[in-house]
Amino acid sequence: MPRSVEILVGGIQTTVQDYPGRRGMLAKGFFPAGPMDHFAFRAANLLAGNPESAAALEVTLGGVALRLGAEATVGVAGAEAEVTVDGERIPIWESRRAAAGSELRIAVSQGPGFRIYVGVSGGIDVPLLFGSRATYTMGALGGFEGRALEAGDRLALGEEAGDGAPKRFKVSARPQYGREWEIEAMRGPHAAPDFLTEEDMQTLFGRAWSVDRNSNRTGVRLESHLFQWARKGGGIAGGHPSNILDNSYPVGAVNVNGDLPVILGPDGPTAGGFICAATVVHAGFWKIGQLRPVGDRVRFREVTVEEAITLDRELDERLTEASLENA
Amino acid sequence: MTEKTIKSPYPGIFYRRSSPDADPYVAEGDRVSPGDTVGLVEIMKNFYEVKSEEEGVVDALLVQNEDLVEAGQDVVVLRD
Repeated sequence: MPRSVEILVGGIQTTVQDYPGRRGMLAKGFFPAGPMDHFAFRAANLLAGNPESAAALEVTLGGVALRLGAEATVGVAGAEAEVTVDGERIPIWESRRAAAGSELRIAVSQGPGFRIYVGVSGGIDVPLLFGSRATYTMGALGGFEGRALEAGDRLALGEEAGDGAPKRFKVSARPQYGREWEIEAMRGPHAAPDFLTEEDMQTLFGRAWSVDRNSNRTGVRLESHLFQWARKGGGIAGGHPSNILDNSYPVGAVNVNGDLPVILGPDGPTAGGFICAATVVHAGFWKIGQLRPVGDRVRFREVTVEEAITLDRELDERLTEASLENA
Repeated sequence: MTEKTIKSPYPGIFYRRSSPDADPYVAEGDRVSPGDTVGLVEIMKNFYEVKSEEEGVVDALLVQNEDLVEAGQDVVVLRD
């Protein structure tokens, strides 16, 4: 019988993702999908003995149960949550060998953090769609039938490659989670002086923004704010100064829709007619997957492109086998 | 008298009624049975029902309509 994993309880949104998702498809209307927190996702795969890119599960909040149809190594990373295999605890940022038929349960996370990643040795073997196994929720495609997983779904697993030994992601290499987040971002592409005032930009980067409950993989909504704006209106693009002629959106854009800033997530829209005042850099993007949409607050820290590249290299260096130790 | 509580399964915004015009699901003094809905929690553009797992009488409502609740937070106290 082929190796597989069966979903017993799907929770509020559990999807198959891979890293870096479906790249190079913006012109065709596809945001990349992929994990909302790429750091914990990649760590979960390394813990399971997989390449960091392998298809794995993104669990939102927890309250999920799976049954392994084959012996496998399971790695968990992300938000603090009680995870058990047949009742035996697996600490977050660790992996364990689990017998065929064993049940993996993830309790609802009390935070900090909001998403838990589950890597299974061999990876989740769903069909490739345009080069990726990631679920694009907005397009209802990719992953397993283009949707979040439900009880009764059975996912095939690939062949294992590693030695299957239980591992721990070193504490020194783990990211810090909290309820107050600082996320690195660069200004623009639509900033001051053309669209917003310099004072608006100082507000954007200066204040703390509460995360709205209706945040998801499409976008993380912040709070409404009355910006000063550099223009009286949007000209031919519309009556509000946040309006511009439709243009493409960057992944991680802080898209200001009227008075409401929204950080565009991995399943966001590829284009639209609102300004993007700032853009979260890749090394900071993982944090948006851990924002708990009940009281967490975000401050943006402005970085240069050079800092953004340096930060991303540092992050890549932490996501290697050197960060693993035997558990 | 034994005291039992109903907890919110998820974090989000708590609602006492199914729509702004509807009557509240429960009021103090109402009898509830296992599976009865006592409120809704809104998170990620979805609404989830908060259900009682026990039989009892609503003794106290611990959160107001549209209050923020955390996962596992007590929202209703039941008495026998």
